[in-house]
Amino acid sequence: MDSEENIRSLRMAVRAWLRENVPAGWREAMTGTDQASFVSAQRDWFAKLSEAGYATPHWPEGWPGGGRSLVEQKVIFEEVARADAPRLILFFVALYHAACTLLECGTAEQRERYLPGILAGEIWCQGFSEPNAGSDLASLKTRAERRGDHYVINGQKTWSTMAQYADRCLLLARSDRSGPPQAGLTYLLLDMKSKGVSVRPISQITGDDEFAEIFFDDVEVPVTDRVGEEGNGWAVAQATLASERGLTLVELSQRMRYSLPLLRDLMRARRCEGDSAARRDLGALIARVDATCALADQYLLKRISGTEVAGDASMVKLHYSRTLREFVSLGRRLSGLQGQYDPGFMRGATQETGNWTLDFMNSYNWSIAGGSDEIQRNIIAERLLGMAREPKNWQLESPA
Amino acid sequence: MTDYLGELRDSARQVLAGTGTPASEDKLWPLLVELGWLLAPVPEHLGGLGLGIEGACSLHTELGGGLSQAAYLPATLCLDAVCHSDLPEPERAAWVERLCSGELGTAPLTDPALTLASGAGALSGLAATVQSADRASHVLLWTADHDCLLLLALDQPGVQITSRATWDVTRRLFDLRVDNAALAEQLVLARGDAARAAVRRLHTLRDLSLAADAIGGAAALLALTLEHLATRRQFGRPLALFQALKHRCADLKTRLAGAEALLQDSLAAISTEAGDAGALHTAHKAKYLACATFLNVAEESLQLHGGIGMADEHPCHLFLKRAMLNEHLGSAEQGYEIAIADHFLGTA
Ligand SMILES: Cc1cc2nc3c(=O)[nH]c(=O)nc-3n(C[C@H](O)[C@H](O)[C@H](O)COP(=O)(O)OP(=O)(O)OC[C@H]3O[C@@H](n4cnc5c(N)ncnc54)[C@H](O)[C@@H]3O)c2cc1C
Repeated sequence: MDSEENIRSLRMAVRAWLRENVPAGWREAMTGTDQASFVSAQRDWFAKLSEAGYATPHWPEGWPGGGRSLVEQKVIFEEVARADAPRLILFFVALYHAACTLLECGTAEQRERYLPGILAGEIWCQGFSEPNAGSDLASLKTRAERRGDHYVINGQKTWSTMAQYADRCLLLARSDRSGPPQAGLTYLLLDMKSKGVSVRPISQITGDDEFAEIFFDDVEVPVTDRVGEEGNGWAVAQATLASERGLTLVELSQRMRYSLPLLRDLMRARRCEGDSAARRDLGALIARVDATCALADQYLLKRISGTEVAGDASMVKLHYSRTLREFVSLGRRLSGLQGQYDPGFMRGATQETGNWTLDFMNSYNWSIAGGSDEIQRNIIAERLLGMAREPKNWQLESPA
Repeated sequence: MTDYLGELRDSARQVLAGTGTPASEDKLWPLLVELGWLLAPVPEHLGGLGLGIEGACSLHTELGGGLSQAAYLPATLCLDAVCHSDLPEPERAAWVERLCSGELGTAPLTDPALTLASGAGALSGLAATVQSADRASHVLLWTADHDCLLLLALDQPGVQITSRATWDVTRRLFDLRVDNAALAEQLVLARGDAARAAVRRLHTLRDLSLAADAIGGAAALLALTLEHLATRRQFGRPLALFQALKHRCADLKTRLAGAEALLQDSLAAISTEAGDAGALHTAHKAKYLACATFLNVAEESLQLHGGIGMADEHPCHLFLKRAMLNEHLGSAEQGYEIAIADHFLGTA
């Protein structure tokens, strides 16, 4: 299947398709735009991509667009990145977090019920974090009380990306307050249009409002929308987070690699191609970017072959996050004073717009969200390297 | 003098505690004029407090910590240039009086690109990063060859200002375009060798002032971050209990202490001789290190705040954006590190 011939023709086909279909000037169109145009641009692009079968190369065989080999997936991600096509940020949680969770932990009925909706363009959000439960996710307090064939939800989530647009939410809630915190969690699929759900967007430091608070006031969720057993939500949530830490990064690291020409353009524009300090930094960065791509690919191979171990996904995420920060920092530094002028608000900006100060700020999404760099380091140290864990019991002593 | 300095700093701290973060220009400018902060660095024989650059810098530090929007920094540069000019008395005294009593004379925070057309005596070019130009009556400018230092009235033909939005919302910067402004109509403060020395002095003061601003910002932000780590609890304990985070803060504090010490040292070394090349070189190091440190503190602070740091309502990002801008002010386009290395290697 992965013969050189096949791969080459897939690459050519994808490239030709992208040349025809990537909306010209889409980035400019997102500058200063309103929510409605952002949503409709994302919807149009998603519809085109999934119709062509390029939106879900990471899905398994039997699903539209799925069943691609790793090499094929990479070719598609590479070409999409190379064409600087819009990223499907509005559908990111649906395509990765929701789909992977359903495929790994959902029932056949749940898959039949929800995956087609995702392919048809349903927007999902992830409702894990709470004001007092960020890194310490297991301490979350939003309640899920069983009443007959429903759960009744009360509480609050925060930092939920795209929640203001979402049709559905991956909800992690507490169904039992006795016992250790991880043990009492239950994983639910919540309809955002249910009675009692309200959403308040949060203004971000970039001027965008991509994430939101979600409030639940006696919201009912049918028991059939529970993923895994009651009280087994922690394990299901790990599947969601692993997809975010590992799988999404195959795409994102390719994005980063194909954004390297932005640095070349910048160096030309700033006339510092001959500057040996800048070239040295660039060279070091390129090696690190390639390493990030290689690590993400290896991770995927391990996942496919079932040889993944705890900590692998964390290394992929941490490697990406640190390299991305170096990438955008170099751009920001080389942009000089020009980079400090605000070109106007860009909706749905990612970390590769070539507006380096904006990209720099957005790069913090990857070092904070989905388990911060520090949390990844803890996982790598404790689970992969087997180093002693932080004590659970502690006592606050006043400093000497 | 040091007592005076301490009092001034304390009063500044009090004032800024009352103006909020960021400290708004509307509130702060009239207040600082009234409190006589502009007089702090002015020599005593011109009616000032005679606290010199040290006095100005301790205020810059406090204003940096409060994310001041007021154009105090360029105003002190402008004032200093007038004080040290060869303008005849009583003209000079009259200017000092004007610029200390609320009329804003501002200055660009980077090096302007202005030239004098030979013979014609007409000034043309662009000065970027002129702070609060819309509220100023005059701008301190110098030609690219440092041959002429002057005070340009904004209200004259051929002079145009354009507001430039920056990520940093704690400063309002303008592009100033000058098109064939007759030199004879301007207030020339120095020409030739005197101008070159005056521009060196000006650059020295500007770099030290930016360093002081950055130190203030870094210290205030580090304090904010420490408070967050002490009060925010995860895993049933304050974040401050995690050694990984303590070490990061300890590193930041150590860097900051170094940058602060270098600035203090530089200020002590140059206060009497701000016009010479050695002083400028000293200022380069202080500016570079203070701004790099501020940025480092800001980058780490955003991470240490977690999600709340990414929210507009929290002040963390205001510091970050000011730190990013600070890094590119002064003569940053030429590269401070390179200037420092060249000076050392004798390759300048
Ligand atoms: C852009 C963005 C998008 C997001 N999207 C979503 C989403 O869609 N859904 C969702 O549920 N959540 C989302 N989040 C929330 C994200 O998962 C949390 O912000 C993250 O888990 C960190 O939690 P916190 O913000 O409460 O920070 P805290 O947990 O308070 O952490 C603050 C700092 O302390 C450090 N720290 C915490 N614990 C330790 C430790 N044990 N050892 C060492 N250091 C530690 C952290 O690394 C961080 O630097 C998003 C966040 C961002 C920034």
